Amino acid sequence: MTATLEYTMESEDFIPKVIEIKNLTKLYMMGEVPVAALRGVSLSVNKGEFIAVIGPSGSGKSTLLNMIGALDRPTSGTVLVNGTDISTLTDNQLADLRQSVGFVYQTFNLISRLDAIGNVELPLSIAGVRKKLRRSKAEVMLKIVGLGDRIHHKPSELSGGERQRVAVARALVNNPAFIIMDEPTGNLDTKTGLEIMEFAKKLNREQGITLIIVTHDLEIGSQARRTIRLRDGQIESDEVNY
Amino acid sequence: MRSSDVLGYSFSAIRLRKMRAGLTTLGVAIGIAAIVALLSFTAGLQVTMTDQFEEGFGSDTLTVSSGGGIFDMLGGGSGDSDFSLLLNDTDAINSIEHVESTVATMTKTIQANFSGNVVPASLSGINFTAYTSMYTTFIAEVGSIPESPNDTDVIIGSLIANPWDNGTIIAEVGDEVSIVWTGRVNGSIVQTNYTGTVVAILEEIGGFGFGPSDMGFYIPIDWAVKFFDTDEIASITVKMDTEEQDEIDALIEEIEDLFEGLVTVTQPAALLGMMEDMLGILNIFLAGIAGISLIVAGVGIMNIMIVSLIERTREIGILKGMGMHGRTVLGIFLSEAMMIGFLGGIFGIVAGVFMGNLIGGITSNLGDSGIMPPGSPANIPPITPIFSFELLTFAIVFGVGVAVIFGLYPAWRASKLKPVDALRFE
Ligand SMILES: Nc1ncnc2c1ncn2[C@@H]1O[C@H](COP(=O)(O)OP(=O)(O)O)[C@@H](O)[C@H]1O
Ligand SMILES: [Mg+2]
Repeated sequence: MTATLEYTMESEDFIPKVIEIKNLTKLYMMGEVPVAALRGVSLSVNKGEFIAVIGPSGSGKSTLLNMIGALDRPTSGTVLVNGTDISTLTDNQLADLRQSVGFVYQTFNLISRLDAIGNVELPLSIAGVRKKLRRSKAEVMLKIVGLGDRIHHKPSELSGGERQRVAVARALVNNPAFIIMDEPTGNLDTKTGLEIMEFAKKLNREQGITLIIVTHDLEIGSQARRTIRLRDGQIESDEVNY
Repeated sequence: MRSSDVLGYSFSAIRLRKMRAGLTTLGVAIGIAAIVALLSFTAGLQVTMTDQFEEGFGSDTLTVSSGGGIFDMLGGGSGDSDFSLLLNDTDAINSIEHVESTVATMTKTIQANFSGNVVPASLSGINFTAYTSMYTTFIAEVGSIPESPNDTDVIIGSLIANPWDNGTIIAEVGDEVSIVWTGRVNGSIVQTNYTGTVVAILEEIGGFGFGPSDMGFYIPIDWAVKFFDTDEIASITVKMDTEEQDEIDALIEEIEDLFEGLVTVTQPAALLGMMEDMLGILNIFLAGIAGISLIVAGVGIMNIMIVSLIERTREIGILKGMGMHGRTVLGIFLSEAMMIGFLGGIFGIVAGVFMGNLIGGITSNLGDSGIMPPGSPANIPPITPIFSFELLTFAIVFGVGVAVIFGLYPAWRASKLKPVDALRFE
């Protein structure tokens, strides 16, 4: 008799998991009434993946992204980010974890009184990097996103696309483990939005950066390698595009 | 985040709202200026008063007077009491234990006429020699104090000779002075004239108190008895040979018993202590008023910080979203309050020093420039405000302290904001 292996190892088990989510639920209280934003979501993200999360408005995309980005804690279920369960972390540990996550928002969320380079420097400043080093890092990052000649412009002096590029530079500057973007093109015209997406694809392809992008634009979603569809707080489909 | 970066970030936030921050700083500055000006002035007042009192009040003397005591003495009037001390009452006092010597003083308000310059003065009839040994301030600057004076010898205070303290001398040693006293003798109003000769002008004494005064006018007691046709005296000053308070208290009681409670015995040294206590209370009172204005400024700080908290909710969400710790957010908000407190403190000190000197200048001008007429009961000595290192440090610490205390609540609320909620804030 030959012993049968109880488990057959697959190649995927050797690829490091950046994010592992099991049975994630999130309830919000609307006054007295609980609203289930997420109802049992499970998924895992490997290093180097490029994922689009699509779904109608109110389907829980932002809520999911906030968990992944350690901005919020789950009601139940587990969220492992780089192997650590975020629900066990203290506020400060959660904050430290966020320093290794790049977040890009639909509304750019730049600090309006700081110029482009000042905004890009902020994550480094929060991480305690010295002035000189963070200046040069931020400058390089702004050059990479094509704003080398705009570093001293205030957000109000930049176009929407340029602002979002500053936000992308800010998300990238601290060498994050992964980047999450919540409808990054939602406030941009189609052409500018596609430019941002091209840039994101390039980052993923050339630098191997793990990317999760939330969008309700199907055209933009179709550019990703893997697409997760959410509906009413649940995953409707999770498929890889070839 | 590094502290220097926290400060830099706070500063960029303050700079954005210059007007608002400026006005809040002004509020703090006014409070601090009030504290510095008032406290430096009272500190100066305290020193001046203490100096004056120590000079004017022999620490080892008692003053025995009929009627109301100290308040009559300072006012120059006479009490309501029917009782009067007599010249030879000194004999009885001299025989009490711990009495070293006594001086009887007869006091009358007179007009002194120095060849046409008429000045009102408070005339004292005293024994020159005994008075000299009792008060160290009874020293001649010009002329000399005669040991066995003639009846017409007159000694005058420096402000009698030089009433405006500006070099206009109306009396010199050797000058004749005609004294006019209008009073009641045996029921009828009489005006008496007397001509004396100035034999000495006293050194400047300053201040006010029981002893010799710059406004004083002194004649021998024997002649005063003849001139005013009375041996009723205003007060007897007793020099003691003890500093033990128990013995002094016993002595006071014995003197009061001697006159069956009709006299008031005042211990100037105790008055000095009382005066210092009163100044202490004044100090606390003024500091309290200034403190209230600072609390108002603190409420102003709290107000703008709460407005700022609401305006910047999203910003806080962004910062926390990038991994900023709650205590760093607290630090940013507190630094903003501290900068306002510190700047307000600096400006407040500058303004306070200016205001303190202004008050000091006004009061010393009152004394020097002749605004106070000669013959006023007391000339006001110049008061130099004292800006001690402690006061200035206290001002800064208090300014920053108030800012921090009132900034604490908004800063704490900012630090506790949840990043998701802050980011959703419109
Ligand atoms: N902080 C919150 N408080 C209450 N309800 C919330 C909160 N955040 C999200 N929700 C609700 O949860 C559901 C999912 O929201 P969200 O994740 O923002 O959807 P999406 O990003 O897909 O549009 C919605 O019904 C929304 O109203
Ligand atoms: Mg959303």
